[in-house]
Amino acid sequence: MAKETPLIPVEDARESALFFVVCALCFLAALAALSAKSTYGAAASWTAAVEGELTVSLPGVDRRAAEEAREIIIAVPGVYEARLITKEEIDALLEPNFGSRGLPSDLPLPQLIAVTANPKAENMAPDLQRRLTEAGFASAVDGHSSWEKDVRRVLGIGRWIALIAVALLASTAIAVIAFATHAALLARRDIVEVLHLSGARDRFIANLFEQRFWVLGLRAGAAGALIALLAVTLMIFLAQSTGSRSGLLPQLSLDFFDLLILVLTPVFAGFAARLAARITVVRNLKEMV
Amino acid sequence: MTLSRSVFSDDVAVRLDKVSLRYDSTEPIFSDIDLVLKPGSFSFLTGASGAGKTSLLKLLYLALKPTSGDVSLLGRRTGNLTRDQLSALRRRVGVVFQEFRLLDHLSAYENAALPLRVLGRREKDYKNDVEELLSWVGLGERLHAKPPTLSGGEQQRVAIARAVVTQPDILIADEPTGNVDPDMGKRLMRLFMELNRRRRTTVIIATHDIGLVRQIEAPVFNIQDGMLVLQTDFESGRRRTDPAPPTDLGEEAV
Repeated sequence: MAKETPLIPVEDARESALFFVVCALCFLAALAALSAKSTYGAAASWTAAVEGELTVSLPGVDRRAAEEAREIIIAVPGVYEARLITKEEIDALLEPNFGSRGLPSDLPLPQLIAVTANPKAENMAPDLQRRLTEAGFASAVDGHSSWEKDVRRVLGIGRWIALIAVALLASTAIAVIAFATHAALLARRDIVEVLHLSGARDRFIANLFEQRFWVLGLRAGAAGALIALLAVTLMIFLAQSTGSRSGLLPQLSLDFFDLLILVLTPVFAGFAARLAARITVVRNLKEMV
Repeated sequence: MTLSRSVFSDDVAVRLDKVSLRYDSTEPIFSDIDLVLKPGSFSFLTGASGAGKTSLLKLLYLALKPTSGDVSLLGRRTGNLTRDQLSALRRRVGVVFQEFRLLDHLSAYENAALPLRVLGRREKDYKNDVEELLSWVGLGERLHAKPPTLSGGEQQRVAIARAVVTQPDILIADEPTGNVDPDMGKRLMRLFMELNRRRRTTVIIATHDIGLVRQIEAPVFNIQDGMLVLQTDFESGRRRTDPAPPTDLGEEAV
């Protein structure tokens, strides 16, 4: 038996345009979702290097006194390592400010101790500060917490922006599909009326449009997700060949959750399209007797 | 046909109680119309162009709501029904639209079978019946033709086939023979009469064709100046000189 002709005819030109728009929106939404997710990884990547790291600054003391301070520090529970920073290392740190000719000999530089402690140890910086003060050292302990907070705040803002972008793009896709469904319904009002007067229930007619837009959403979403996958793959390739050498970019990769976002994009697009079509059709049918 | 449905036992097929209709703020199309049609009745509706025949039929096939008054079909007041109940009622009403309203992307066969598809019937269960019905209205060779390639008369016959394919309890036809030659007109009327006689389908035909009205002796309702007037009442004496329609049309219901 021959395949039944769809009751709602395929609108090639109109549906091609809608396919393109939904595809583009899904591509952008997938990228935004991946960006939101990547901020978690970036925060971990950018703060991991300084977590548990402290720098103790001892002004106006010589190398021997600094060694005494180091012994006090290494005895503190939770401290793994305490190392005096050499003159050469200090020169290297200040080179961007003073140039490569070296520091003036009369420049009063503090002694610096690099401390590695348990990242989960609480109040490590104030504890070190207190113990050094009790031992008679004037010191400043930098736990890098302000830098870490700044990084996390910036990434948090970035994450919210990405999530808002996802929400906006998803709602835009729904609105576009609702508009397209409404246009399709108007263009096919004659068919809808004949079906309606033939005794077709609202859900029967709505289902015809739902099926049409469900498939369109799935296909457009899959195309958008595929393009997003290609874009991210390209970005990873470029980052690995340039960015990672500079150390500025976190290590980019596609993990299971990234792939899950890409796999779910067409499913969400299909459901959104179906929902938009259903709401639009049912609302329009209610205008008929 | 496989469309077994018991002959309805409602006392009244169509009842209009003080029905008025107006579009927007215009003058009413008609006011306080009363009408009672018994199950199995056969009636004509006549009136000048613009008198409101099509509007009255739209009320009967539930495409319009009256501005006031009650419309009852098959014993049910339509004003109180849910949308699903209205759909169920519409399935018992076959309609031949004046402008046919065929779906251009479907073939003649698919158009005629549309109400069966809406009912969720499987094609293998109705294919032969639909093909036989279309053959009977002279479209046996045009089953797969799309409406744009059919003549006006052919389109009208497809529309009629679509209206009768479910053997409805009420058949409403708006100028159903306006585009066919006299012989085919008689043949189509014979189809309506057979449905009416065998299945006790209530038939209401709006027409300008006085010859058609004279051919079948049946009550004629005339719309004039917004009023519905019973002009002629022929209770008996229907002539049957045309070939019989498909024998299974209504056989099982009789």
